[in-house]
Amino acid sequence: MENRGSILESIGSEIIGVMSPVSICMFLVVFLVYSMTTSSTSSSDASAIRTAANLVYLESPTDTPTEKLEGALLNAAVFVILIAIVTFLLVLLYYYRCTNFLKNYTRFSSFFVLSFMGGPIFLTVIKHFSIPVDSITCFVLLFNFSVLGVLSLFSNGVPILIRQGYMVVLGIIVAAWFTRLPEWTTWTLLVALALYDLVAVLAPGGPLKILVELASSREEELPALVYESRPSTFPGSQGSNLAGILMSGVPLQSRENGSSESISGAIELQGRSSSSQNTRNSDGFSSIGQNFASDMGENEIEVVGGDQEERSPLMSVGSRERRSPASFDVGEMVNGRRMRQDDDDESDEINSRGIKLGLGDFVFYSVLVGRAAMYDLMTVYACYLAIISGLGCTLILLAVCRRALPALPISIALGVLFYFLTRLLMEPFVLGTSTNLMMF
Amino acid sequence: MTVAAGIGYALLALGPSLSLFVSVISHKPFLVLTVLSSTLLWLMSLIALSAIWRAFLPIRSSSSSWLPFSILIFTSVVFQEGLRILFWRVYKKLEDILDAFADRVSKPRLFLTDKMQIALAGGLGHGVAHAVFFCLSLLTPAFGSATFYVEKCSQMPFFLVSALIALVFVTIHTFSMVIAFNGYAERNKVDQLIVPVVHLIAGMLTLVNLAPEGCIFGIPLLYLMAIFTLVYCGKMVWKRLTERESRPRFVANLS
Repeated sequence: MENRGSILESIGSEIIGVMSPVSICMFLVVFLVYSMTTSSTSSSDASAIRTAANLVYLESPTDTPTEKLEGALLNAAVFVILIAIVTFLLVLLYYYRCTNFLKNYTRFSSFFVLSFMGGPIFLTVIKHFSIPVDSITCFVLLFNFSVLGVLSLFSNGVPILIRQGYMVVLGIIVAAWFTRLPEWTTWTLLVALALYDLVAVLAPGGPLKILVELASSREEELPALVYESRPSTFPGSQGSNLAGILMSGVPLQSRENGSSESISGAIELQGRSSSSQNTRNSDGFSSIGQNFASDMGENEIEVVGGDQEERSPLMSVGSRERRSPASFDVGEMVNGRRMRQDDDDESDEINSRGIKLGLGDFVFYSVLVGRAAMYDLMTVYACYLAIISGLGCTLILLAVCRRALPALPISIALGVLFYFLTRLLMEPFVLGTSTNLMMF
Repeated sequence: MTVAAGIGYALLALGPSLSLFVSVISHKPFLVLTVLSSTLLWLMSLIALSAIWRAFLPIRSSSSSWLPFSILIFTSVVFQEGLRILFWRVYKKLEDILDAFADRVSKPRLFLTDKMQIALAGGLGHGVAHAVFFCLSLLTPAFGSATFYVEKCSQMPFFLVSALIALVFVTIHTFSMVIAFNGYAERNKVDQLIVPVVHLIAGMLTLVNLAPEGCIFGIPLLYLMAIFTLVYCGKMVWKRLTERESRPRFVANLS
């Protein structure tokens, strides 16, 4: 039965491989938002946080809509400008090869996010579900959790699943903080970021485009920078497979209590070849998005000659390995040790190109859904479907265009559109019919 | 009621489709994508319908309001059945692409069961969308510490009624898609016609709920419709499969 298994089982696994972590991230953020808003209705101080996103204007419910709109636009503009500056700075640092600095900076910021931003969230969860845990245990656990997260970012010995899990966790934590922004600011910010993403990735001279080209011209994939700044191509991706890269290129800059801290907008989810020999065949190559093999002629996404060897339970895509001397290219996934090791078994060609989805995309998808969750569940479902379909559209475009694409614009546009359509049109209709027990 | 009740209502409406999803669909990424896209399609149809009907809302829910509601249900059903034909057209194109691709990677073309599974996934998407938007999204208050009764149906909480009705419609949507796709593929007029008729009858049966305590009669009637759809679909699939099984054997004997 296995070998006559139909093509239904192989087609689309890459897309699902990207969609499932995004779905998990969104689901958990919605869950968090639900539990936090229901618990913090009594304490009114929850929304008064000061971040880089509302540096200029702090929304208050009494303002008029025009005031809110102006303030929100200003906030969004400031935020986008900050992000652009930080991104250019990162490009500059990459240009001058300050790899170690970038690497350590990413470590620091992810530690900061996991411990200092994640901590309050865990505390809220503990309070809300009244989990009996004492403060020392909690502190030790949190510290362990954060350290493991930091280690998993760069060391190759850590199973890919843990790294993927931490990516999702990072996304959840940041998104949970972003959902505390006031409503108008959130919407304008999302739209502004989608536009910025479009420009930064596609426009000539956009920072992320420069970064992609820089990385591919250097024929290298620096581990530090891969996570620091998402764009990175696998050089020599002219084969039949496609290195799908998606990015939204948003270094998250969130500022709290005056301390500036920037994460990972840049952190990249990627399938990187592990440099340790013994893990090469097992976990090194399954990535959050699997090999995004595509074929131009058919205009559809497909997998060529992949046999799945391992299924990672979370992402549900296996690693794929292709042995074909015809399309042999060593050192395609360069990273120092790997290059040396490749020399001895040359026939073992590995196409490990995953779809890469930036953590920023995770975050802002989840922010949209989390914001929708504050209104109603119906808008959540609508936004979820819209975002997922937007992601699907982006992936199909990726197969057609074969170049780095921004993942935010289509999804955010669809998400915002569906949110307002659902809120304004559908909700009264559905409520009106279903409270009369009319269904069809 | 509490969280337990909320989860119970949700599982009542979506439990069967959840198990269907886990057992049949979730292993095959393509089917998952089919479910998602068909859910999206249904959502868009709902948004379009509500955009049309937005101007006439809210309809006063007096006992004489069955006429506007029946018009509403009629238009909705007609619209959605039109959409089903569109879905079939798109699917037909997709099937050709898939077959061409299967030839290219020298894998077998789509089997009959594959086609039926795609139809099932499409139907499941419609059904799940129905249940999600008509039942699940209203369930939020059910997780709290109270419940809600509708005046017209004072025997059961509103959430229970809507979960029960949603289960009916999930079943009807899911399996009528299989019937319809088979009907289109075989050009079987009976199969093609029975789907909109069942859908329309089921929609119209919910009008019974407008009468005081009408849900006591309405819900069993709805379940009859669901069982009818299930049995009809089962019979049809059985027939197709058995005739398909005998045909290759026959061919093999000839050669």
